[in-house]
Amino acid sequence: MAGFLDRLLERFKIYREPGYYKRYDYWWAMVVDLDRCTGCGACVTACQAENNTPVVGEEESGKGRVLNWMRIERYVEGEYPDVKVKFIPVFCAHCDKAPCEVACPVYATYHNQDGLNVQVYNRCVGTFTCATYCPYDVRRFNWFTYKDKGSFESPLDEQLNPDVTVRTMGVMEKCTFCIQRIVAAKDRAKDENRKVRDGEVIPACVQSCPSKALTFGDLNDPNSQVSKLAGLPAEPYYLRESGSKLAKISKNPRAYRLLEDLNAAPTIIYLKRVMKGSSTIGHE
Amino acid sequence: MKRFLLYLTVAIITFTIGYNINLIYFSDRAPEQPINFSHKVHAADNSIPCLYCHIYADKSTISGVPSVQKCMGCHKIIKTDSPEIQKVVSYWEKKEPIPWIKVYNLPDYVYFSHKRHVKASVPCQRCHGDVAKMDRITRQTVIFGVPFLRVSPLKMGWCLDCHKNGAKEFIGGPVRNGTDCWTCHK
Repeated sequence: MAGFLDRLLERFKIYREPGYYKRYDYWWAMVVDLDRCTGCGACVTACQAENNTPVVGEEESGKGRVLNWMRIERYVEGEYPDVKVKFIPVFCAHCDKAPCEVACPVYATYHNQDGLNVQVYNRCVGTFTCATYCPYDVRRFNWFTYKDKGSFESPLDEQLNPDVTVRTMGVMEKCTFCIQRIVAAKDRAKDENRKVRDGEVIPACVQSCPSKALTFGDLNDPNSQVSKLAGLPAEPYYLRESGSKLAKISKNPRAYRLLEDLNAAPTIIYLKRVMKGSSTIGHE
Repeated sequence: MKRFLLYLTVAIITFTIGYNINLIYFSDRAPEQPINFSHKVHAADNSIPCLYCHIYADKSTISGVPSVQKCMGCHKIIKTDSPEIQKVVSYWEKKEPIPWIKVYNLPDYVYFSHKRHVKASVPCQRCHGDVAKMDRITRQTVIFGVPFLRVSPLKMGWCLDCHKNGAKEFIGGPVRNGTDCWTCHK
């Protein structure tokens, strides 16, 4: 019995170690140019429409039960005549060493071969552990079956995306990088026997961004838009090591990652906002 | 005691018969369709290939139910006096689709692509059973008049069985990333 348990533990140990994929097939990542972000919130709306996220209403929102996978944080600095408002879109960073993955008791969240931190709704039992472990506060919990509460009353159910599950009560959910679009792109690529091209996968938020602040692509590919914008070399697997700093390998002086000190190795790279007349650029 | 055993046997026999009648004729495994369409006549006797009617099977995630136009393409001429064909004609004249009842139903959270499987040369019969022998489409295999097992359980373990080992005969090895959750879930 003990031997069996040991073998079982040994088997699942690899899943507990962050970065158990030595190399990803694709390494999906996002670059957010804060210089371009106007804080319009189009990405938030697009995300909601794409991913069947219910509108929870005023009362529920007040209790902190919003289900938007994305949010735009606002920072207001200065006194009235010269006020500076800064925006920063925050969504799941698909951390390479995700704290949420270590926490889940039922392996409902794990890293897949594409470098995505994915959430399996069918496995999730709703212990809420991942949400408490997440340093970015991007995991959302379904407190109710909002479908039954009338969030998708006719004719609203006509706009549901058939490629995305409508989640029910007790399930944690979060940004998937619009995995249904990645799956569709990979399907197309497989037909033509090639890899997915750069710019072929466009998540809903990237698609809707009017100022093109968001860019999505493959970090494994040195010629991808994402790698170029972030100024990264080919296969920047250094980013996954603990204590790695993006500034060390990036050619772009504006590039940084949110809460890098926590060693969660997020794959979302932000480009600092350069503001006129300020010695410090952007915010971290 | 003897009487009790007799009652028990009778009860068991009645239950089995009733259960099977229910399973074969009334359950969703073989629902009654609006038109008594026979796959046997079409696919076996007249050897029409599957993809002639289910045209999207190699192009899309869904295989597609043929349009009434497709039916009328042949049945304008063939067997026009049959009462079942008259029903098709009535749908055609009403300009309404035939409300076929779906038999192979997958849950909301499953992403299944017919295209991927057809392109990997998995025969339709592998999952749908020998449709060419069925008058009414059914998910129930019947051996000597006794319902035995389902044609395909459509359970996750059954899918993974092929993704891990069984796929060897089609693509020469396990499916690439075939056991990743988000390959089949959405």
